[in-house]
Amino acid sequence: MSEQNQLASQMRELVDKTLQRGAKGIDYIQAGSAPVGLTPKETIYDRGTLQLYHYLPVSDEVYRIPLIIVMATTNKGFLFDIMPGQSMVEYLLGLGFDVYMIDWDPPVMRERGLGLADYTQDFLPTCIEKVQEDSGVEDVNIMGYCQGGVLSLIYAATHPEGPLKNLVCLTTPVDSHKMGLFRLWANEEFMDLDNMVETLGIIPAEFITNSFEMLRPAQKVAGQLRVWDQLWNDDFVKSYRAFQRWGDETLPLPGEYHRDCTKELMWDNKLFKGELLQNGKVADLKNIKIPLMAVMAEHDHIAPYESTKPLLGLIGSKDKNELVLKGGHVSLIAGPNAMKRMWPRVSDWLEERSV
Amino acid sequence: MADDKKNSPADFSELVTQWERNFNEFSNQIMGTPEFAKSMNQFQNMQMEYQKSFSDAMAQQLSSLNMPSRDDVVSMSEQLTQIDLRLSRIEKALDKSNADSAKPAAKRKAPARTRKPAPKDKAKGA
Repeated sequence: MSEQNQLASQMRELVDKTLQRGAKGIDYIQAGSAPVGLTPKETIYDRGTLQLYHYLPVSDEVYRIPLIIVMATTNKGFLFDIMPGQSMVEYLLGLGFDVYMIDWDPPVMRERGLGLADYTQDFLPTCIEKVQEDSGVEDVNIMGYCQGGVLSLIYAATHPEGPLKNLVCLTTPVDSHKMGLFRLWANEEFMDLDNMVETLGIIPAEFITNSFEMLRPAQKVAGQLRVWDQLWNDDFVKSYRAFQRWGDETLPLPGEYHRDCTKELMWDNKLFKGELLQNGKVADLKNIKIPLMAVMAEHDHIAPYESTKPLLGLIGSKDKNELVLKGGHVSLIAGPNAMKRMWPRVSDWLEERSV
Repeated sequence: MADDKKNSPADFSELVTQWERNFNEFSNQIMGTPEFAKSMNQFQNMQMEYQKSFSDAMAQQLSSLNMPSRDDVVSMSEQLTQIDLRLSRIEKALDKSNADSAKPAAKRKAPARTRKPAPKDKAKGA
């Protein structure tokens, strides 16, 4: 192709994309919330902020042990079911897993008193009982994401007798003193935590969102520039809108839970030290003897690699695997890279432990 | 023509990525100091003190006028939401029970829990 033709072709492409940007920009502005979490499911238990879903199996034969995904308390679980074709739940169902999910709704003012122990010693055990009833199987496997992983670890450490058989921890911080800027900002010298909890009751979602956004202040603007550049690309826009919705739907937290997490985990690092007490039981990670897989992201800015890394050294399991992948806190779970890098490795590990 | 590709979309994306990285690094340097953490928390504490005293004063005023405060309205709204959720659960349960009794044969059959992992491709795993 001559240089002139090449230039003409580039010009045509540029004009075409500019026109499409104009036309699709209007659609983009007018579009409502992106459709997310579309895999068919039933809510089998709900209690205030707590929701337990059962995703409808798509095959006639499933693995014996059901899998419960425990979502982080700050965000909605549809990250695992972001859109058809990019849904980890859909992928797992297709492989024959029986998938449940513990998800969260925004807590209301009367739930302000829910503490960390309510999550680990009441919500999780109750959901496990509900899954046992629903599936008719005694054993369960758990996959916890971020703070959902922390809750799962505390549950596992305080219930070593079972019925939990295998645990996958995705980007789960255990050494809170390695949590970088989060740790610095939550410095006990400067933070009036008790006043915050007493005054607000429920920690607003904006507080959580702002903390996340402050870690990467340019991310939002850069995202908007990228979507403007790619407005002609329907797949990109669809995916961007779904992830944007997930970010926008960050959840508020019960004040007492926030106080427990900040004091016990962040300030005193009690989970890391094996000193965390939950309803009189010590949540010593050494009590965990079941097979465990820890999945970490190299470029995680929310749960930095350094804070997730020590997990395998703290547990008592013999069967333990570490998987360190390229990517960040969210791209590890959903999106094209997660589909290629994380999903097959985790499902391979779980398959042989789910029979 | 070595620089022909400079105006391509890929370059724009790279430019944005570079800007984002630099801006984040620069901001994190500023925000990663104890001075910043102290100021941020002081501002937050001040905001909360103001919010607390304002809402206390407002609640007192409303109470003297025999009117509900924000907390009263929130509490009432939460109770209504709970009633609404309970009704919705009862409605769902009734629908399900009606559907089950109308078409017992159509009830979802539980899958067998007998699946085994497929044998792994040795070559692929190696």
